Amino acid sequence: MDIIISVDKLVNRFGSQVVHDQLCLDVRRDEILGVVGGSGSGKSVLMRSILGLQRPNSGTITVLGQKIKYHQPGPSRCWGVLFQGGALLSGLTVQENVELPIALHSNMPVETRHELASLKLLMTGLSLSVADKYPSELSGGMRKRVSLARALALEPRILFLDEPTAGLDPIAATEFDELITYLHDNLDLTIMMITHDVDSLFGICDRIAVLVDRSVVVGSVAEILDSEHPWIKSYFGVPRAQRARHAVGGTKHQQ
Amino acid sequence: MSNAFLSIENQPGRLIVNVKGHWIFDQVLALEDATALVLPEAGQLVTFQCAGLEDIDIAGAWVLYDRSEQLSELGIKSELTGFKAGHFKFLQHVIDAAAIREYEQTPVSPQRVKVLRRTVEKLGRTTATSIEDLGTIARSILDGVRRPSLIMVGETIKQVYFTGVQAIPVVMVITFLIGIVTAHQAAGQLEKFGATVLVVDLVSISITREMGVLLAAIMVAGRSGSAFAAALGVMKLNEEVDAMRVMGLNPNQVLVIPRILGLVIALPILTIFADIAGIAGGALIAMGSMGISGLQFVERVAYSTDLADFYVGLSKAPVFALLIAMVATLRGLQVKSSAEELGLKTTMAVVQSIFMIIVADAFFATLFTRMGI
Repeated sequence: MDIIISVDKLVNRFGSQVVHDQLCLDVRRDEILGVVGGSGSGKSVLMRSILGLQRPNSGTITVLGQKIKYHQPGPSRCWGVLFQGGALLSGLTVQENVELPIALHSNMPVETRHELASLKLLMTGLSLSVADKYPSELSGGMRKRVSLARALALEPRILFLDEPTAGLDPIAATEFDELITYLHDNLDLTIMMITHDVDSLFGICDRIAVLVDRSVVVGSVAEILDSEHPWIKSYFGVPRAQRARHAVGGTKHQQ
Repeated sequence: MSNAFLSIENQPGRLIVNVKGHWIFDQVLALEDATALVLPEAGQLVTFQCAGLEDIDIAGAWVLYDRSEQLSELGIKSELTGFKAGHFKFLQHVIDAAAIREYEQTPVSPQRVKVLRRTVEKLGRTTATSIEDLGTIARSILDGVRRPSLIMVGETIKQVYFTGVQAIPVVMVITFLIGIVTAHQAAGQLEKFGATVLVVDLVSISITREMGVLLAAIMVAGRSGSAFAAALGVMKLNEEVDAMRVMGLNPNQVLVIPRILGLVIALPILTIFADIAGIAGGALIAMGSMGISGLQFVERVAYSTDLADFYVGLSKAPVFALLIAMVATLRGLQVKSSAEELGLKTTMAVVQSIFMIIVADAFFATLFTRMGI
């Protein structure tokens, strides 16, 4: 199994507070890895470290064989990121937002760029009537879809999702989960996804990484559910997690 | 013929295109050039044979699909065959998307709006907005007056410090320099008449009546007007203003009134400092290069400039302050959606407040002249 992202002995400290201590994590090709953890357990810090937006105190991170350095250009053509709030550029229209990475990384003629951007918008389930709108005119769910279209603009091999379903209503969240699964199955994507949505965790993730005790516990959904760690037990023991588990019935993983 | 992406076999009635290599995003330009070489004759069936394909993504699939669409528009039939399982799904995506797209593209009839109508509409909208702006300002002042609270006092003192006390050095330096400039310019002209001593009159009167307050106000408009608009704008974007309303705080009371009051208090104080620095600048030149002694200078100032001149200048300060604060807070609170808008509104706040200061100053100049002050 190919390792796409490899985090080795990562240490992150803020003052005296240790967030990650010798954290090691591998993300495999073509998997959907769900990342969970309590508030302040360093989920976002981990993702930001991998993306080169955060300078770790020590440790090495390799993505697609390339070592990640803080604020240095990483393999930005091979990854797409969906930030929590969408992080669309507010001064550009939806169409321009999606075209921006294409314009930055290729010398395609305008019409081709335009076509490809429209294609990505359609793929993420948006209607082209939103193309000329500004992000502020869109709903939260649509903004996330546009942001996903932008993340997919360069045909990435890795997709990072930061709480993709947070703030969406259950219908939109389910649709978004379906969209992610669909894209994953059809575009040969490796996906790393921070989420607190237990439905997404049980429904679409292949493996789960739980950030506890300044380190990480990784395993398939079944393995994580069998874990004896008290925090993990309580996380998946709460009623809503139990309900989600029964609803999904472990169909995907207990075969 | 053949290249890295396709090789073409021309058979009677058929054109077989063997698609091969890497049809990916990076190669889109080259791919478009390559597919442009697929030039069948009329009546030929084009077969894209895709078994030799090594790699494909959405962008590559689109190029392929786009070419076959172009051909069908020319009335030439084409088929895409021989895909490996892992490759076809990309083409499927493109076909699906194109299907949605055709369904969506119901033509929207372009509405021709008459230029006149558009102009009238714009004029009407501008007028309506201006009236609305005035109403908003009146409302916020009314809010403050009706239910003054203790929060306002503390905030006001803070604003006096930020907009007044902290601006003293920069305002003084600027008016000092302007005092020097005025004295130099006046000296050049008045020397011709042998009336060098009138330089003192000119500097002290122009600084106290006009320049001191005008420079202080423009400085404050640039400094605090932009700060007001930007601060309130960001608070709007962060939903802080909404949060205040929900908690029962009136943003007008907490944000607008203290800023207006603070500036109304701060600008007159700044004006006094500006007057002092401006006259000091004039004094430096008078004593340094025109041979007027310090005593002469003071005497001359006292003789030429009465308290009325000073009050004329000072009386304009609260009005200017009111204009700056009202325009800036109003524009700040008008920010609704984007960072871009924030920049736009901040610019508007500064430009409009300086514009209104100058207009008001021209009005005052006429008024005071008519009144004979």
